[in-house]
Amino acid sequence: MSRRYDSRTTIFSPEGRLYQVEYAMEAIGNAGSAIGVLARDGVVLVGEKKVTSKLLQTSRSTEKMYKIDDHVACAVAGIMSDANILINTARVQAQRYALAYQEPMPVEQLVQSLCDTKQGYTQFGGLRPFGVSFLFAGWDRNFGFQLYMSDPSGNYGGWKAAAIGANNAAAQSMLKQDYKEELTREEAVQLALKVLSKTMDSTSLTSEKLELAEIFLSPSGVVEYHVFSSEALGKLLTKFGVNQAASSAE
Amino acid sequence: MKLDTSGLNSIVPFSGTDDGLEENIHLAVSSFQLPRTTDFDGFQKKAVEMVKPAKGTTTLAFIFKEGVIVSADSRASMGGYISSQSVKKIIEINPYMLGTMAGGAADCQFWHRNLGIKCRLHELANKRRISVTGASKLLANILYSYRGMGLSIGTMIAGWDETGPGLYYVDAEGGRLKGKRFSVGSGSPYAYGVLDSGYRYDMTIEEAAELARRAIYHATFRDGASGGVASVYYVGPDGWKKLSGDDVGELHYKYYPVVPSPVEQEMVEIPVS
Amino acid sequence: MSIFEYNGSAVVAMVGKNCFAIASDRRLGVNLQTVATDFQRIFKIHDKLYIGLSGLATDVQTLHQRLVFRHKLYHLREERDMKPQTFASLVSAMLYEKRFGPYFCMPVIAGLGDDDVPFICTMDAIGAKELAKDFVVSGTASESLYGACESMYKPDMEPEELFETISQALLSSVDRDCLSGWGGYVVLVTPTEVQERTLKGRMD
Repeated sequence: MSRRYDSRTTIFSPEGRLYQVEYAMEAIGNAGSAIGVLARDGVVLVGEKKVTSKLLQTSRSTEKMYKIDDHVACAVAGIMSDANILINTARVQAQRYALAYQEPMPVEQLVQSLCDTKQGYTQFGGLRPFGVSFLFAGWDRNFGFQLYMSDPSGNYGGWKAAAIGANNAAAQSMLKQDYKEELTREEAVQLALKVLSKTMDSTSLTSEKLELAEIFLSPSGVVEYHVFSSEALGKLLTKFGVNQAASSAE
Repeated sequence: MKLDTSGLNSIVPFSGTDDGLEENIHLAVSSFQLPRTTDFDGFQKKAVEMVKPAKGTTTLAFIFKEGVIVSADSRASMGGYISSQSVKKIIEINPYMLGTMAGGAADCQFWHRNLGIKCRLHELANKRRISVTGASKLLANILYSYRGMGLSIGTMIAGWDETGPGLYYVDAEGGRLKGKRFSVGSGSPYAYGVLDSGYRYDMTIEEAAELARRAIYHATFRDGASGGVASVYYVGPDGWKKLSGDDVGELHYKYYPVVPSPVEQEMVEIPVS
Repeated sequence: MSIFEYNGSAVVAMVGKNCFAIASDRRLGVNLQTVATDFQRIFKIHDKLYIGLSGLATDVQTLHQRLVFRHKLYHLREERDMKPQTFASLVSAMLYEKRFGPYFCMPVIAGLGDDDVPFICTMDAIGAKELAKDFVVSGTASESLYGACESMYKPDMEPEELFETISQALLSSVDRDCLSGWGGYVVLVTPTEVQERTLKGRMD
């Protein structure tokens, strides 16, 4: 009976649900997770890499983190092919805005424009929704550092700390428990790594399986996006003591 | 690079010691051949096009307590190209009278020289110097007779006569205006701006000369077709005298010295190995 | 008067030994009226790639903004800077896109490529590329610039001499042009360093 409602993305079920959208969210639940934490002096993003074959040769430096513009970056969870489309739109949107107004696009406006695209696929027929959730980290002149989370329905919201992907519910509750106001960037990194280490399926946390990126202001007041190298990340893991087997900590 | 301004120097001082005028100087102006064509207007248009007058100029003159100040730039341009930076645009008609040059260079030079001859003849015939009023009228009448034939002249006749300082504006359309303050040429709007705001009748000669120089400088700054040297002449009871000729390239930095800007970021030297 | 001459401009680029210099005048005019003397015609694309745009000021700015747009996206997608040759092809393609309603600009592109090999080229308003080994010029003072460069240029100049040469060529050229000048701007790029300098010039 349910087939009557879930074969079309744009039709509500009698209970008022959009099954295809929910299935898309389900798809993300299986993807590598990502955590974002808002700090006083920046935003931190950590992600768990799922594919870590030695044979894999990637063309990019990062798998889950993408720079959208000089002042915005995002972490992805979900179907990567879908994500690539959205990332590209986001980059073009950001540049179009810069071309028109000669200033960086406000972060929320960028997130919203992307979510409008996502939303379109839940309303106009014939196509499936994007199976992607995003964490957006950015800085703008009006609202400073910001962290946003979006899901396949096109819903988004601003967060102090947020998690997407596998075990996001567990991670979210852990963040809620451990998050303190006015964190420094380093504390935020520590928190994000700790939460990720506890919610990840894999037994041990190594720098090969992780990606860590930050958005912050340089001393001269320029926004910078920085991705940690594998070595730097390894050192951090040792420093915070989260590189042991995660299960043993439980 | 220093501009070669030798062309701006006055030529020989005027002297009345010529042993005699040539017989057949009948003022040589009635003998221009008119084109033998049925389409006179069309020919005229093409001819004017061909000798396209150099329009870019700034000249000015004004009367004040001590006499008249006449000043001009020295650039000649053909379209966007600067053909000379040392053109003499203030023409010395006689020791008591100056003319300025704006419009076609050839037209101005020829008719000023022609006016010079007529003024001298008037002097010889009447045993007294011609008045500025008379001289300017002489020129205006000639120009009027060539009206519509494509002459391009915008000039000021400035001098000192028995009535004191005199200043007239005369153009190729036949216009003739008496006035205290004129500026002619493409840079004139800019020169007027400075002149009108700084003018006082009771200026000293130094103040007046500086005002004229500044007006020309500002015109050369704003107007692409004006530039080179700002020459300033003064005409008083004892005739004209050239007061200054300043390269505006240097004048700019005299008026607006470059203040070394504070270093925002130290430049790092390349390490010499 | 041609629309290319409406604002007046002079742009030149020269190649030296493992380095290049690009220079322009600073005037913005409306026909013969000088409106500003701090107009930018030379733009940085990245640390080792610059473009100078002669011609109509509004198109200069628009084209520059569109080039920044394209280069930013390229940088985000490819995670590297464009090679000068690639960038020249991009500019050419963007200009030809507007074949029947062109930007009234003539670009001069100068950059250091792989192994710090200098690259310079110029284009007409619809993107016909012209590569050169020595120098390229553009703008209302292009004729005088050709003359000056032709007589002053020497191959394989060191950075200091290159700076001196391009500055003298620029300043003496604009002294013969009503529509350009009012100071100069030079960028000198070597493999290790970029020097930007403004030149004092005749202000008439």
